[in-house]
Amino acid sequence: MDGEEQIDTAPTGHGDEVEVGFLAPRIHAAPFPGMQITGYVLSMALTLAAFGLVAYHWLPLSSLVTVILVLAFIQAALQLGIFMHLREARGTAWHLPVLALALFVGLGIVGFSIWIMLFKSGVS
Amino acid sequence: MSMREWITHLIKLLFPPQVLLPDIVGIDIGLTVGAIAIMVYLTVRHRWGWLWREWLTTVDHKKIGIMYLIAALVMLFRGGVDALMIRTQLIGPRAHFMGAQQYDEVFTTHGTVMIFFMAMPMVFALFNAAVPLMIGARDVAFPRLNAISFWIFAFGAILLNISFSIGGSPSAGWMSYPPYSELAYNPGVGENYFLLSLQVAGIGTIATGINFLVTVLRMRAPGMSLSKMPIFAWSALITSSLVLFAFPPLTVALGLTMLDRLFGASFFTVAHQGMPMMYVNLFWIFGHPEVYILIMPAFGIFSEVVPVFSRKALFGYEAMVGSLLAISFLSYGVWVHHFFEMGAGPGVNVFFGLSTMLIAIPTGVKMFNWLFTMWGGRIRLTVPMLWQLAFIPTFVVGGATGVMLAAVPADYQYHNSYFMIAHFHNVIVGGTVFGVLSGMYYWWPKMFGWKLNQRQATWAFAFFVAGFWVTFMPQYFLGLEGMTRRMATYPAGLGWTSLNWWSTMGSYLMAVGFLIMVYNIIWSRLHPDWDTTGDPWDGRTLEWSLPSPAPEYNFARIPHVRSRDEWWAMKREGRTDDVKISADSVQPIHVPRNSAMPIMLAAAFFVGSIGMVFSWFWMAILGGLGVVAALAYGSFADYSELTIDAAHVLKTEAAMGRVDS
Amino acid sequence: MSTTTADRPPEFQDMHESIRIMGFWIFLSTDVGLFSSLFAVYAVFRSRVALGPTPHQLFAMGPVLTETLILLTSSFTCSLSLYSARMNRLRGAVAWLIVTLLLGASFVTLEIREFVADVTAGHGWSHSAFLSGFFTLVGTHGSHVTIGIVWAVMLALQLAMKGLTVTNRRKLYTFALYWHFLDIVWIFLFSVVYLSGMA
Repeated sequence: MDGEEQIDTAPTGHGDEVEVGFLAPRIHAAPFPGMQITGYVLSMALTLAAFGLVAYHWLPLSSLVTVILVLAFIQAALQLGIFMHLREARGTAWHLPVLALALFVGLGIVGFSIWIMLFKSGVS
Repeated sequence: MSMREWITHLIKLLFPPQVLLPDIVGIDIGLTVGAIAIMVYLTVRHRWGWLWREWLTTVDHKKIGIMYLIAALVMLFRGGVDALMIRTQLIGPRAHFMGAQQYDEVFTTHGTVMIFFMAMPMVFALFNAAVPLMIGARDVAFPRLNAISFWIFAFGAILLNISFSIGGSPSAGWMSYPPYSELAYNPGVGENYFLLSLQVAGIGTIATGINFLVTVLRMRAPGMSLSKMPIFAWSALITSSLVLFAFPPLTVALGLTMLDRLFGASFFTVAHQGMPMMYVNLFWIFGHPEVYILIMPAFGIFSEVVPVFSRKALFGYEAMVGSLLAISFLSYGVWVHHFFEMGAGPGVNVFFGLSTMLIAIPTGVKMFNWLFTMWGGRIRLTVPMLWQLAFIPTFVVGGATGVMLAAVPADYQYHNSYFMIAHFHNVIVGGTVFGVLSGMYYWWPKMFGWKLNQRQATWAFAFFVAGFWVTFMPQYFLGLEGMTRRMATYPAGLGWTSLNWWSTMGSYLMAVGFLIMVYNIIWSRLHPDWDTTGDPWDGRTLEWSLPSPAPEYNFARIPHVRSRDEWWAMKREGRTDDVKISADSVQPIHVPRNSAMPIMLAAAFFVGSIGMVFSWFWMAILGGLGVVAALAYGSFADYSELTIDAAHVLKTEAAMGRVDS
Repeated sequence: MSTTTADRPPEFQDMHESIRIMGFWIFLSTDVGLFSSLFAVYAVFRSRVALGPTPHQLFAMGPVLTETLILLTSSFTCSLSLYSARMNRLRGAVAWLIVTLLLGASFVTLEIREFVADVTAGHGWSHSAFLSGFFTLVGTHGSHVTIGIVWAVMLALQLAMKGLTVTNRRKLYTFALYWHFLDIVWIFLFSVVYLSGMA
């Protein structure tokens, strides 16, 4: 954690300093909504690709679900990065570690619940 | 007749077997008379306006903290009476102080009230009272949301507490497992009360979690980097992060049960391939982080109390923070240890057994840090310090028995026995309750401006702690001798009689301790020992640099923090005048305005919940519309701030001798 | 890369509003917990169909794809609304917001029609754990969208009444976060529930 050195540089308080280097904010600013249009086209393409995979049975069933899930995660990342301006913040982007924790816990809840509720009991 | 038999006989004479109705009618009459008395008092003294302006519509975190504290103490009384009824029932074999149904209802409300409506608000009371002050903030991040949290919690508590007089109490235990909590086995509205009250209070709790997470991360005074934060602020941060992800699974578990009961869904009914075990899984995804939500703040409190009363800086600050983080991280991955017996298989059980045992390591680190902080310090045996000293052995016993329970094969024996009951009371009472009581005595002068009488408080402490050990140590042995939880009565000749008798005596001692505590508070209010310095304990953190109680804007000027234990450093370096303001530098201060919206919103939730409890859906819809209306009102009305002008600040500060001439 | 005060959009120049935006992100992370729990329930109950229909029998490709495309488009128009606000074009912001809420309303309408069709075909949620899990998961998302529509109506009114004040910019920003988040949830619903169910 830096911040120790910033005491005498007239800090404004309320977490205006960037306390953790890689959590520095980044503001989206573009004159033409090119990013948004790119994001829209990409998300459409990904959705239709996933749909096509299922509708036309392009893949064997075993790998199909994995591929669909990977496409879904890519699309979620697109939404976060392009539409939700993920790194916009003031001071330290504290919402990023919380979101990372949310992802971790969310995957844990789903994954562990499936594992637990399989009841693969050997001896009990 | 031996002494013991004589006492048992006396108790049975004093509390003859009851049928359900008369005592409830008695309580109803008592409550009604009490409510009328309060209303008459308020009317005669013309205090309605005062109550509305100063308390019901306040958004000031210090007042909200006081309201949380009062609610928590009232609920401690309610849950405590339930506990006494349980122990009285079990004083001897074949006791029939209560019937089995009433016994079920009493232990259900005991658990629910103690966890959700006593321990949680007590923790939030101390967060509200201390955290903004110790990080140098003028308020929490979202003051109005803070008031919403409190009122939603309060109406949730009222909802649960009216159940026994209107419609019937829940009786499925505080965990409320299906299928017993399903409509087929548990008809009536009692279970609905449980589901709705926790659901509503849970919304408030999530909001509090968001609020304090943002407060600690964004509202710190300049210079207070993360590594300079007091540990209590750290514990508030970590507790909040646990709240964020623990409560949504509870919301889902309760919501699905409600859908099953009220709308005929098939989640937990076996008939349509539903699975009751899924409820158990979801409940403990919440339930295990929840116990760390309760214990983390206690760890934080002790990390403030020990250095102050040992006159030494905290030993191993980084290790303290690291172990808090490690515990919170591990706590997400241990929940299956609540149901090893479900049959998820050896792989699952071993994973969760091991992760549970791992938690003992960071917890042990904290224990040693507190001991090493005391080592070589100049210890003052004040009341907060006494609670912390009692905590250490109690919590070590609780923790060690926890590791025993985490051993999967052994847990098949301990599970749901009194051994387990003794274990979790050891950690929750010995950890959380001792912790929040220590914190209450520690911050009381800061919250109210007067100190609690130390001698009476020591007596309360002595009775409570002695009673605690007498109550719960026999229960370990009861568990090992085969007594299971939730037995409404037991036969003679199993070797349980004498242990149960001692356990009951212990609970009476705790009750005496609580009564002394109440007496202590009332006596100290009537004979106030005013805290004129603002720093009665020779404290170390920023809240003690303020007058007691702090003015509504907290800091006339926001301090620039240079070190951990900033107030201590100021005192050592002769910088205490830094907190004073001068006539030419004083600035007007913006504080949030009072708002009637929070209490209106909570009332709408209450109306809607009553509608759901009794399946009066027109009323539920009415409540829902009320919620939308309150939110819309809050959004459209300009949420403007009140400006306290510089002259007023100067006058207030001058009256407390905090202006540089 | 650090930013100076002048670079910041107005909703971040105001300290309180920037804190509220962060608070809303944290709220969204709790919603991640809510939906994860519901996904867990659905995943466990997926094969527990009792005498009711299997996912394969229940789902119809066409309407679901239409719903998805509508919601993706509404996400795009929502981002255009925020973009217009950043460009200080009040009329554009309000217009795109109204387009967004209309698309959201048509999404909800289609979903309700799908549900009604299922129930009238005798596939009500009491028939199996799978159906309970399906209706609850999809319904929770749908009710979130409905709340979003009510919110958007109020927001459009406030924009029309008070213009692009700092507070309104923040409200638009948080609404956009909410709306895009629901889009993400739908992408997972589409993939995990519908596509995997039909595969």
